[in-house]
Formats: sequence, C-alpha cells, structure tokens
Amino acid sequence: MNEVKKIDYADDGQFCSGHVACAGCAEALAMRVILNSVGQNAVGVVSPSCSAVILGGHPLSSARIPFLHGTLESAAASASGIKRALRAQGKDDTTVLCFAGDGGTYDIGLQALSSAAERNEDILYVCFDNEGYMNTGGQKSSSTPSGAVTGSTPLGKATQKKNLIEILAAHRIPYIATVSPSHLNDMAAKMDKAKAIRGTKVIIVLIPCLPGWGVADHAAVSTARLAVESGVFPLLEIEDGLRTRMHPEHKIRPIDAYLAQQKRYRHLSEADRAALQAEVDANWARLSAQAAL
Amino acid sequence: MNAPANIETRQLLNGNHAVAWGVRLAKPDVTPVYPITPQTPILEKLIEFQSEGKFAAELLTPESEHSAMAACIAASATGARVFTATSSQGLLLMHELLHFAAGARAPIVMFNVNRTPASPWGFWPDQIDSLSQRDTGWVQLYSESPQDSLDTVIQAFRIAEGSMLPVMINHDAFYVSHSVEPVSVPAPGLIDEFLPRVERPMQLDTGAGQSLGAPIGQASWNRTRREMAAAMETVPGLTEAAASGWRAMTGRGGGVLEAYRMTGAEVVVLTMGSMAGTARDAVDRLRDEGIAAGLLKLRLFRPFPADELRAALAGVPCTIVLDRNYSPGMGGVLHQEAKAALYGTVGAPRMHGLLAGVGGVNVDVATIARLVRDYRNADPSPDAVWVE
Amino acid sequence: MNDLTSPLWTNLTSRERITGTWRSALPNYQNQPSPCLNACPVNGRIAEWIGQVKKGDTKGAFVTLADNNPFPAIAGRICHHPCETACNRNELDETVGICSLERFVGDAALDQGWGFPAPPAELAQSVAVVGGGPAGLSAAYQLRRYGFRVSLYESKSALGGLMRWGIPAYRLERAVLDGEIARITAMGVDVHLNAEVGDADALAALRREHDAVYLATGASLPKKLPTLDYAAGWVVDSAEFLAAPADQQSARTGDHVLVIGGGSAAMDVARTARRLGRTVTVLTLEPEGSLPAQKVEVDEAAEEAIRFVSGAMLQSAEAGDGAVTLNCIRVAFSKGERPGAFRVDPVAGSEFALSVHTVIPAIGQDADLQRWAGLLEATGPVIAAGKDWQTSTPGIYAGGDVASMARFVTQAVGMGKEAAHAIARALAPDIARAVPAELPEVGYDRINIAYQEPHGRTHQRLTEVAERLTTFDEVQQPLSADEAKSEADRCFSCGSCIYCDNCYFYCPDMAIARLGENGYEVDPDYCKGCGLCVAECPTGSIHMAKDDNA
Repeated sequence: MNEVKKIDYADDGQFCSGHVACAGCAEALAMRVILNSVGQNAVGVVSPSCSAVILGGHPLSSARIPFLHGTLESAAASASGIKRALRAQGKDDTTVLCFAGDGGTYDIGLQALSSAAERNEDILYVCFDNEGYMNTGGQKSSSTPSGAVTGSTPLGKATQKKNLIEILAAHRIPYIATVSPSHLNDMAAKMDKAKAIRGTKVIIVLIPCLPGWGVADHAAVSTARLAVESGVFPLLEIEDGLRTRMHPEHKIRPIDAYLAQQKRYRHLSEADRAALQAEVDANWARLSAQAAL
Repeated sequence: MNAPANIETRQLLNGNHAVAWGVRLAKPDVTPVYPITPQTPILEKLIEFQSEGKFAAELLTPESEHSAMAACIAASATGARVFTATSSQGLLLMHELLHFAAGARAPIVMFNVNRTPASPWGFWPDQIDSLSQRDTGWVQLYSESPQDSLDTVIQAFRIAEGSMLPVMINHDAFYVSHSVEPVSVPAPGLIDEFLPRVERPMQLDTGAGQSLGAPIGQASWNRTRREMAAAMETVPGLTEAAASGWRAMTGRGGGVLEAYRMTGAEVVVLTMGSMAGTARDAVDRLRDEGIAAGLLKLRLFRPFPADELRAALAGVPCTIVLDRNYSPGMGGVLHQEAKAALYGTVGAPRMHGLLAGVGGVNVDVATIARLVRDYRNADPSPDAVWVE
Repeated sequence: MNDLTSPLWTNLTSRERITGTWRSALPNYQNQPSPCLNACPVNGRIAEWIGQVKKGDTKGAFVTLADNNPFPAIAGRICHHPCETACNRNELDETVGICSLERFVGDAALDQGWGFPAPPAELAQSVAVVGGGPAGLSAAYQLRRYGFRVSLYESKSALGGLMRWGIPAYRLERAVLDGEIARITAMGVDVHLNAEVGDADALAALRREHDAVYLATGASLPKKLPTLDYAAGWVVDSAEFLAAPADQQSARTGDHVLVIGGGSAAMDVARTARRLGRTVTVLTLEPEGSLPAQKVEVDEAAEEAIRFVSGAMLQSAEAGDGAVTLNCIRVAFSKGERPGAFRVDPVAGSEFALSVHTVIPAIGQDADLQRWAGLLEATGPVIAAGKDWQTSTPGIYAGGDVASMARFVTQAVGMGKEAAHAIARALAPDIARAVPAELPEVGYDRINIAYQEPHGRTHQRLTEVAERLTTFDEVQQPLSADEAKSEADRCFSCGSCIYCDNCYFYCPDMAIARLGENGYEVDPDYCKGCGLCVAECPTGSIHMAKDDNA
C-alpha cells in the first residue's frame, strides 16, 4: 500500500547511550540494530576500529554483551577461539559475534577471515565498511572505491574496491549479506536470518563515514540510501556462495546524487564520473545476471 | 626415584610425544595449533589421540600461528583451559599476541620447540626464539628431557592458572624434541587431582556482559603492569609448589632451579635446556678428576629467579654460564640475566659467559669439561666469549 | 588471586558518560503548518484530519475539520481547493485529493447525524449576525461554540446565501446544504428569515441591542456590461437565473444561450442552461486555460458540449428577428497587479459575430455599500475592515463579499471564523482563541520521500455526460471508504507527526524515548544534536533548535 513504511524491530536496550561515536554516526546506528537483533546470549570480538572505540572506553561498555577487544588482524581467529571454547564448555547455543572494520576485514584480517570461513566456524562476522582507515584519520584500504580521496590517495584512488563479497562467496560459506543503515528492517531481518544459520556468516554494513567521506552530520543515512538506490552498494544475500538474491527494484537513480553528497568525490571530472557510473552499471548487471541464475 | 608402578606407566617417547602425553593428561578445552618443524609431532600426536577418542579438546587448525594464538587468547578469556605449541618462526609470528596474551592475563600454556630463526634457514636447537620473547610477560620454563617436558607441561597449567599469566615451556629442537627415552606417564586420575579446575576471577560471561581489554587511560594501563609484576612475583612460589606436589606424586623433578653436586662446589656451570644433561655428565667427570664442579640448571627463566640464584651461588667462587643463544651486540641472554641478578651482591662469583652451541652446534661432555677447566681460574670478563 | 576486576574488564555501561554536552542544537518536536494548511482559507488542520482518516477515525476527522469549518460536505464539493494546488505531493506525483476526502468526512457526518456539541457554558453577551450566507453562518457557528447568544438575520426565505441561490444542485446537493446548515442552527442560533437589515439606521439599532454585530450581506449588485441593454428581454441576470426555479429558468431562455464571463458563476449558468436542453456558448475575455473558474468546472462544462469562445469580448449586440447578433472581437488579455485587475487590448481585424437567443452576463457582483453610508466607511468596492474584521464603527465587524474581494465560498467561511474569534477576543478575552503563532511552513525539502511510494491519486468518478444533462443530480461521485483510506495514505502529513518512530529508530544514541500518544521525548543527557531524526522524519515535524544549555 501507499502508507509510510515503518521501521519495526525490538530495541531491548542491548546498545547503550553514552558511547563516543561521532554525532550522527551510522555505525552506531547499525550497531544498535545488530546488537538488539543478536540479543543477550552472545559473546563478541571487536578489532581495533571505530566499533572498538564506540563499544569501549574502560571502564564503560556500550554493549550489554561481553566483548573481547582483540587485535586488528585476528578478529575471525579470535571469534573461532571463543566459539570453540564455548562449545567445549557446553554453551554452543551462544552466538559469537565479530565486529571489524574494512581494514580489519579486507586488508589485515582477510587471512584469518578466510581461514575461519574455510573451516566454516560458527561465527557471525560483521564488517563495518566505511571504505578506509577512518579511525586513524582516513587512509585508503583495499575497500576504498575508485576515485575516492583519502589521506593516502590525495588524487583519488586509482584502483577499484576489492570485491570481498566474491572472495567470500568462493569460500562457499552458508551466508553473506550486505546491509545498509538506510534499510533498518532489511538489516534486522538479515541479522535474524544469519543468527539462525550454523557456520560462518558475514554481514557487510555500508557505513558512510561523516568525516572520512565528507558527509554532513545528519546525512549518513541519506548517503547510504543513495548508495543503495544508485546501485553503488547493492543489498544482497548469497547462500552457500552460490545462490544470490538481490533487489532489482532498488536501483532507481544514477550515481550523481550519491557522489554529490560526499567531499571525497568532489574533485571528479565529468569523465571520472562517467567511468564510475560505468563501473557501477557493469557490477550491477553482473550481479543481476548472477541473481537470475 | 622411580614412581610407583600403579600410578605411572613407562613408555618409550620422544620429547614431543611426551609433551602430547602431558597435554592429553591436562585435558585442555581448546587447542589451536599450526604445524611447524620441529613442533609438528606434538600436533600430530594430539590429533592421533583425538581420533582415538582420548583427547576431547576442540582442535583448531587455523592458517597461521598468529591466528592460533589469537584463538588461544579468546578461548582462554571465556574461562577455557587452552594449550598450543609452536617453534621458532611461528613463535616470532605470534610476537604481537604474546604481549596481548599476557596483558589479557590469559593462562595459556604453550610449548615451544627451540629452533634457530631465519635467516638463514636452519632447523637447529637454539633458544634465541623464546629468549627474545622474554619481555612479553610470559612465564618461561626450560626442559631438559622428554620426561622433564611431560612433567613440566602439566605443572605449567598449575602455574598459569595460579598466576593468571601465560606460560611457555621450551625444549631444544631434536636434542629433546626428537630423542626417544623411556618416559613415565602418570595415570589420568592422578593429573585430574593435581590439576583441578580453577574458578576464574573474570571471564567473558553473557550474563555479566563485561568486556575485556577495552581502551584504557595511562594510569590504568600502568596499573595493569603493576598487577602483572605482582603476579610474576608469585610465580617462583607457584613453580616450587607445583614441583613439590609433583615430586610427592611421582618422585621426580626440580623447581625453579635444579642443583646438582653443588656441595662444596668451587666452579658451577649455569645453563638451561638439554645442555644441562650434558653438563651433568661433565660435572661427574670433573668431580672424578678432583675438580669441585657443580651444576645449576635454570628451569624457570621468567620471571628470572634472582633470589634463588643468589642463594644457590652464595660462596661459590666461579660460575660459568653456557648460552645456546646469542643476542647480537650483547652476548648470551642467560649470562646477561645472571650477571644482572648477581650484580652488587656481596661475594658474588666470578662469572664467565660462554656462547656454546649457538645454532645447534654440538657441545659434548668433553667440551664442557674442557671449558670448565679452562675458565675456572681465568680472570672474569664482563663480555661473552665465543667458544668451540 | 590478583584483583583483575578493574583495569582489564569494563564494569559499567556507557550510560555513565553524558554525551549530550557535545551538542549545539536539540531536536524540537513541533507540528508546523503544511503548505495546504497555509493555503486553506479556513486554516483547517488538513494533515491532522487526513491522518485521522488514515487511521479510520472518520469521526475524529470530522471534529478536527469542524473546528475551523462547519461545512466539510459543502467545502468537499465546491471549494476551489488552493490546498491541493499547494500540496507538497505534487512534487512527487500528484496532489492529494483533499477535497474528495473532506467530502468523504462531511458526508459521513451527515449520514451518521453527527452534530456539534453544546457550548461549555452559555454567555451573557449576544451578537447579531447579518446575512445567512457562508460568512455569516460560519461566524454564527463559531460564536455559538463559545456560548454567545447569536441572532441571525437573513433577508431571504432560507439560509445559505450564495450556496443556496448561486450554486446549482448538480454541484451541491440541496440535502447536503440543508443538513450542514441545520447542524448549525441546532446549536441554538436565533434565526430570523425574511428579515432584511436594510440601512445604516437599522444596523446601528442592531448594534445597540447587541454586544457586537457581524455584517455579511454579500455582493448583491451585478456588474454591468456597458455594451448590453439589460432591459432587453433576451438579457437575463445571472444571479436571478441561478436563483430561480427550473421552470422559470426554462421560460427565460431561448434555444441558444450565450453566457458572458469565465468565472464559477458563468460556468454554473452555462451548465444549468445545458441541463435545460439549451445550446450554450461561453464568451470569456481570458484566453483558454486561464479562466478564473476552477479547471474542473471548465473541463466538465466542455465535456457537456458547452462551446467556449475565449479571449474575446462583446462590442455590440443587435436584436434581430428572434435571434440576437453579437459583434465580438478578439482581445489580448493581461492580468493586472491586484487580484481581479486586468487589461484587454482588442486585436484589430479580428472581429466576428455570434448569433444567439439569450445572453446571460455573469461577470461578477458588487457589494451594495450605499446602504451603510454614514455608518461604515468603505475601501474601494468593499467595507473597510481591520485585521480583526472590525469596521469603522466599533463593535461592528464585517466579512464575506461585503468586506472582501475574495469571492470563494470557503474564503467567506474563513472570514466568518476569523471575525468570530476576533469578536470573542473583544467580548470574552479569557476564553477566546489566541491568534495562531506564525510558524515556518513545511516545504517539500523537509519531507523525506524515501518513506513514500509513488502512487497516483484516486479521483472521484464523474457521472456520464449523457446522464448528467438529463438531471440536476451531482456530477462528482464520492470516494468509497477504501478509496478514501488509500487517498488519505498518500498524504505526507507535512508538519504533523504520524508517530512512525523513525526518529526513535534512527537515533544512533538512543536519546529518543517513545511516549505513546504523547509522542517522543529527547534525552538531553545523550542527544549529540546530529539531526538524523530530523533528516529521516517523513513529515517534517521535527526541527533542530539552537541549544545553549548543552
């Protein structure tokens, strides 16, 4: 119907006020949905990242579940250790949650993640993908998309964003999903689904970083929405690495409005933008074909 | 000194298999391991035990020692008993996480097979891999023989869980890891009693929801190290207690330091690991020649047992330190540590630091006897000396 | 055992940390006017009552509507609906059918017999209302709601004014008109029919008898075309024509009727004549597409085979044998600065002639100000009145066509309402409604359309043309309940909170609490002032306000 679409998930207070995320941070927003979806029977691991900062600050914790603040490159290995230890202690029903940034996932943590995925460890791995090392002031990671300016790509990144989804799919893990802070119902539903699956689940959350991307304080959600609506960040699910599900109806606009909302793309020429549009279109077409299989 | 037959069985075991037997008896909950020569037989034996249904731990085989140690720390933080094993490059790859494990007060027990680090590549006994980890906050114990390794790995859990510090036990590549000897293996019930499950003060608990290792201020970080220092101070006592308990049960083993023929000794060999076994025979030979030689085997290297060493060497005129390791620019690590421990004490012995056996070079009984003869009356040198 | 509880392990939640000190602005929940509300002549709280329709609370919608307008069924039929023109939804797809929804609510009220409540207390003061048209009735209604005693003087035999005598039944069913008027008189209005207040003396006397007088006598004098002989038998006055019973209308018109004028009255005349079986031509100064009548009226007239000759004017008329020849010329039409002002320039050589049997000029009416001379001052063609609608004589208020050139029915209703509240402020300031605060309008830029699906408007069905021309039954058919719900759901509720919880769910700091029917509360301890709640509000009912206390 033509009613306003309502957001509907239960906030049981799993994520607490008083955390130190930037005002308007979409990562805190996503953590709120994710932690409430996961619930109290869970143990988490968090890599050094914005999420670690948001969760912590001893002696305070913004999460109601315990987190181990682990090392940058070993989130998936740490999560594996926790899962096995809980299993050994008869607590196999406890969800083991992993929070890592894109640096801790696409870059330095990829080896450990690949290994955990290969072993199909029963962990729920959430990558908060803000497309760069934003907690250290904004340097490029292998998740930084082409054209984006970061502290280490002052002229714009010359190469494409690493396609982690395809890498993960090649591991044939039971569940991969992308979620966006602009689509909270979708996020909650995918978390619920992931939680019920045994084995390695990876959720990639797009996080428009306010200072890192040059986005206004109130605009993280609208930027994420534009990413979805322009096909830059397709919301999808891949089961067992083979079955792809996506939303063909989501792509309703060119990338211009998405780019315009961010300072990191401000330098792009007309030709640069056209090239980016072509990249997005090609990726979308390939995904669509994959989803149609 | 043999243990009663009803509580132990005798098996021909190499050092690594003896370790695996000790681990099997200690019943860890989680065992993440990554293969590396010459540690691999430990891993293989544990997997063999598991396939026979004799070893119930969750075995994790991650892609690197780094991930193995990450998994150890995380598993330990949940309250689980955790074991892993590695060697040389693997230990060095773990370096970041060694600090982390100690800082997180994870009572992990790890067995390291001492091996030369690359480059160049080599697979020989040398203790620099573990000695270069001395500042990471791990308790370090050195084993002389397969039996020692079995005994120590079990005692190590008592020390780790008593101090909430991780413990690393080391034995030399091949000289211990692959040499076979008859080993007494205690009955499982005995170990259950020796190694009761300890209630942790804190663990990752879904009910409590308290997080571990969150970013912290300077003063609080400082406090974590003071608390580690306090914990380290308990380790010699815990080591002695574990050893005496073990002796009561099996009739075997020393504590922090193991003294051999120290009565009236005028020259004492101080060393660690397999070199101690060779030195023991050399001491016998020298005593036969009428030279009042003795041996101090350092079993606990970290925390460094300075008090015990000072007491043991009180009145001894000369000490010869044999180091199968080399810290470039400074010499043998044990020599440095012993010098530092004895510096300023009244009547401290003359001390010679001899770099003997670096890179796995064989140091036999005759060599040690010769070195003692050569150096027992020589003027002391503050620097280490390369010897043949 | 070491004490490991403090430096390694967290032991409190982050709620111990007050992050509200970071902010410089705080979200403020404030319902602000929608463009439709600002455009509405009665300032009906449109977003609010449509919100009630969404929830199926038709009665609640009626109560909200009737706060400002006692004629939802009438306005839902004939209002010129500037609200729809202003509607933010135009930017997305198509304006919301506000009028059809208002009619839905108004009809339901009549069907269910919902009346107006008695005033909370009867007051001693009395007010005379002169004129029973939309302005007078609206004022009488609002005054009765306060509890004032109201005497209503109407010169004609029935109440309704232009609504009764000027608007044909095919646009406004008489039962609807009667029903909505009866609901007002049932509140205890002392109605005097056939009671003309004919001159300034009578008015002054009325003023002495009452605490205040409201004058709303309308515009009764037809404007005249200098080129037309109004005494001729083939010229018929449009107001008289519309007010007359059908048999008299038939008797006065020949086969081919020319209607002069492009306003609503002209359309009403033309379409009435069509229903009498006449051939009808409409001559307008304004070019096609720019007629002052509502577009829907022009469209429906065209459907009914009424011929439009637009952008032309009459130069002279010659009565011939049974027919009248009208000499016309094309004109260039341009609008003037003031509403209603214009300029025409004949186009040389574009002369043409029309041959008809009857001419009905319908170019507007003027107020009769002469009657009040000496008592009430005038400004141009209307009685002078201040912002509070008070005339030059204290205690006499005026509104509707006599005091304004705004000539739509709903505008008259709005004026009557405003005057009634002004009178109340003068007579009973303690209970009078305050002048509403000026708040910024919620424009399209403040609507987050991510929460809306494009969805075309559900239009009212029209009776088939052939059927229309045989009766005076209503042309526009009402929405069904399902259609009304669906149409109401299209409303963005601009500036009115719909309790969707977006603000609650989008707060990254959990600083917004839901208070059920009482809306939301911002926790100043934790709100960092990011404005995400404002950005994601689908209705624009939150805004950031500077916060110096943080």
